Amino acid sequence: MSALTFERLGKSYGDATVVQDVSLAIKEGEFVSLLGPSGCGKTTILRMVAGLVTPSRGRILIGSDDVTALPPNKRGLGLVFQSYALFPHLTVYENVAFGLRRRKVAGAELEKRVKEALAMVRLGAFGERYPRQLSGGQQQRVAIARALAPHPRVLLFDEPLSNLDAQLRDEMQIELKRLQRGLGITTLFVTHDQGEALSMSDRVGVMAKGVMQQFATPEDIYHRPATGFVASFIGKPNRLTGSVALRNGAGGTLSLGGGLKLPASLIDQPEGAKVDIVIRQEAIRLHRDGTETGALAGTIALRSFSGARVQYVVKLAEQVELVAEAPSSGPDSELAIGSSVALAIDPASVFAMSAEGTAA
Amino acid sequence: MIAPRHGLMLIAPLALVLAGFFLVPVLMMLPTSFAEYVPGAGLAKGVWTLENYTRIVTDDYYREVIWRTLGLGLFVTLACLVMGYPLAYLIARGPERWRVPLILLVIFPMMLNLVVRSFGWIALLANRGLVNNLLIDLGLISAPLKLMFNLTGLMIGLTHIYLPFMVLMLVAAIRNVPRDVESAAATLGSSRLHVFTSVTLPLSAPGILAGSILVFVLTISALVTPRMLGGPTYKVMATLIYDEFMQLLDWPSGSALSFALTFMAIGVIWLSSRLTKRWAGMA
Repeated sequence: MSALTFERLGKSYGDATVVQDVSLAIKEGEFVSLLGPSGCGKTTILRMVAGLVTPSRGRILIGSDDVTALPPNKRGLGLVFQSYALFPHLTVYENVAFGLRRRKVAGAELEKRVKEALAMVRLGAFGERYPRQLSGGQQQRVAIARALAPHPRVLLFDEPLSNLDAQLRDEMQIELKRLQRGLGITTLFVTHDQGEALSMSDRVGVMAKGVMQQFATPEDIYHRPATGFVASFIGKPNRLTGSVALRNGAGGTLSLGGGLKLPASLIDQPEGAKVDIVIRQEAIRLHRDGTETGALAGTIALRSFSGARVQYVVKLAEQVELVAEAPSSGPDSELAIGSSVALAIDPASVFAMSAEGTAA
Repeated sequence: MIAPRHGLMLIAPLALVLAGFFLVPVLMMLPTSFAEYVPGAGLAKGVWTLENYTRIVTDDYYREVIWRTLGLGLFVTLACLVMGYPLAYLIARGPERWRVPLILLVIFPMMLNLVVRSFGWIALLANRGLVNNLLIDLGLISAPLKLMFNLTGLMIGLTHIYLPFMVLMLVAAIRNVPRDVESAAATLGSSRLHVFTSVTLPLSAPGILAGSILVFVLTISALVTPRMLGGPTYKVMATLIYDEFMQLLDWPSGSALSFALTFMAIGVIWLSSRLTKRWAGMA
């Protein structure tokens, strides 16, 4: 049995449809992310699950209970907000105790469970503080403890790490994942950050314009994107315009302009169709000499160093430029601007998409 | 950030005006309040006395006026709060398109002259006023209710006049309560009522406090409306002070009463802000 199920769940405001009928089933203990650009409807789905937004269509089931018509306080969920949403007038202890008190937990049991929840997020010593006396990261951990303390059936996260700085965000990702694993709690996590979604989730739902584009494991999302949108949203894509030059089985050859040809292992469009071509930066191999067969020749136009990786802008022809990555140490880390290189591109990492399917 | 030196320059014009036209005259009243009043002659020269202050505490009539003023301030503040909060909540949380029209309606009475509004209440509340006539015509009462020249009349009039101040303060405060925090309480198991009492109400405490202090201070220092609805005999502090100065020419007594009123106001504000802060966890 699924822990959380959407059946043709949809939301419209007047004529504007924010969520097209979305159906999916989340397994017990599973960590699922909804990933997409802002305005794709992911937060609306989360708020519908929490009961803060009323669905226009469809049903939401927690376990086997239909909760579609239940108010938020009857759903038994834990929700962690981007803004933390702690009670500023209550101490950390009282914040965590809030949900327990609503469930008539009292006395020694209350104290035990509050302490337990605070210990889980390593804030055992902070019970007497007020939220304003804590850092952003600590406040978010209090929010997590507050959501966990009443033992919710499903834990919901609404972009919980977006307000934290990069380093803290990485730490929190690992901490959150460990916590979720340890408790085995079913989790729905909404984010616009693909790194977050891919690294933390068992499965990821990629959304665009209210439509669920693909619901699959992070590996499938990355390596086998179901739609052009997913291909162009995940990874660090180069986007070029071109056309389908030749169909050959499932794949074929794409024409990039400037007379350049590029094999791709999967093409949906017919020969001659105008397409947007997506090539992941990290799928491009860069070589010093242009001798390899099937390689594209180009010259380095720009080099930018970003720590572990070096990005090169490679000019292939007039108006055709690609960004390629290389490790920042090794033979290809110090190519000079103007030097000629060969690019080997894995045909499985080249995606053709109809011009209108591009990510906004 | 503004440097302290520049900050001083920014408030200097206002500070000068307040010092010259408010603080200095008030301080000039201080010696007067310790002077002795000789009927028909004015201030007795070179004689200092505490009599003006002790009389305020010992004289039954003054004590009655003080309690009446404080009671009026309290009642009007509570009435404004109880009637203003639901309206403020509607304005802050209701449909967007209602907000501006409702706020205009709240502000509208303030555009009418205070004297005109008080006359309006006389027309309504007098023995042969609209309210009494209507109730008699409906057969609900046989003799007119006494709605003027007493606490009821002052309460009705002043509540009406100061309600907009309370509502505007509360609207700002309620709009400042983050919706996410209310949603958080709801997902943690709070009913709508509990969300309101445990989150919205305490988090709007700064507005409740500010609105209450404003209405309280305006009420206990109101002069025109109490004079018109209370008549010459039913007095509050402000009308009493006015009469001491302008009718009896007893400046020492008037000054002492003025200081007493000021310290009462400060005392009540201090006490209520302490209580509110403790209740809303702001301390």
